Amino acid sequence: MADRAEGAVATMDERGAPPPKLALRDLVKTRRSTAGETVTAVDHVTLDVFQGEFVCLLGPSGCGKTTILNILAGLDAPTSGQALLDGRPIAGPGPDRAVLFQEPALFPWLSVVGNVEFALKHVGVPQDERRDRAMGWLENVHLTNFANAQPHELSAGMRQRTALARALACDPDVLLGDEPFGALDAQARELLQNEVQRVWVESEGRKTFVFVTHNVREAALLADRVLVMTAAPGKLLEEQRIYAPRPRQLDDALVSRVVSEIHEILMLEVSKGGGS
Amino acid sequence: MADDPVPKPSTQERLADLTDDERLVLAKVADIVQKIKYGTVVLVIQDGKVVQIEMAEKFRLR
Repeated sequence: MADRAEGAVATMDERGAPPPKLALRDLVKTRRSTAGETVTAVDHVTLDVFQGEFVCLLGPSGCGKTTILNILAGLDAPTSGQALLDGRPIAGPGPDRAVLFQEPALFPWLSVVGNVEFALKHVGVPQDERRDRAMGWLENVHLTNFANAQPHELSAGMRQRTALARALACDPDVLLGDEPFGALDAQARELLQNEVQRVWVESEGRKTFVFVTHNVREAALLADRVLVMTAAPGKLLEEQRIYAPRPRQLDDALVSRVVSEIHEILMLEVSKGGGS
Repeated sequence: MADDPVPKPSTQERLADLTDDERLVLAKVADIVQKIKYGTVVLVIQDGKVVQIEMAEKFRLR
């Protein structure tokens, strides 16, 4: 992944292959602290994510993984370097990239199906098609019986499933997740992880998923590629490429082995950086 | 006193006796070993047969 020329911007590479779906080129992000000091959040990160890949970014607290995700989503801009989508600089958010946050961010005054329909309206789906499409996705996440419920009537897991249905109903090329299952109980998290695996498999290589997590088991379960970051300032430290069929289980021998390897290197980083 | 144990076949003899299925598995594992520098290979065995070969490859990025 590091053998592409840094800073290269092209819509086709030298072999005529399409560019990576998402790319970071020597990306740096700095912030000004309240004390007026410049703090580096992301430190010269270069990364390619190809269409159809499922990538998880893992790292100690404050390592810049959420910053990277926000930049890919177009919610934040690089200080220097480039963030590219299909070979073109990312100028802002777009319907081609859906984002799942830790909090589902549903509209509390709309019903479950209303929330999904609202997203469909924004991507230009005609009114007479919205209900069927929304209900189709609610069926996918097992929420058909709660379509007319208000968000406050749902459990945390059901709210996040609604957010997943809303994100996927718009048929985005890219799904970005910022600790999307972090606030869920163990059972709800497992259900959502299975849903996400299934949706990704069924997309047959069309959809690209990039998730940020601090849960090593979740990363090894879901991803083709787990990228481990250093403590702040965030750089890429190690990559694990996992070739195992899906759906995977947490107690699969390979998943367990990868978890223990990543855990070891991550603990080392956490102890260096004083993070948690 | 027990009789002398039957001598174990040498590696060469064992290799010569492998079935086609066993050779195929070994060839696939050898391919993986040639391709990756650091990593893990897991053979999933059911009813005495290798039904799946899984792999994880590790890269140091700095």
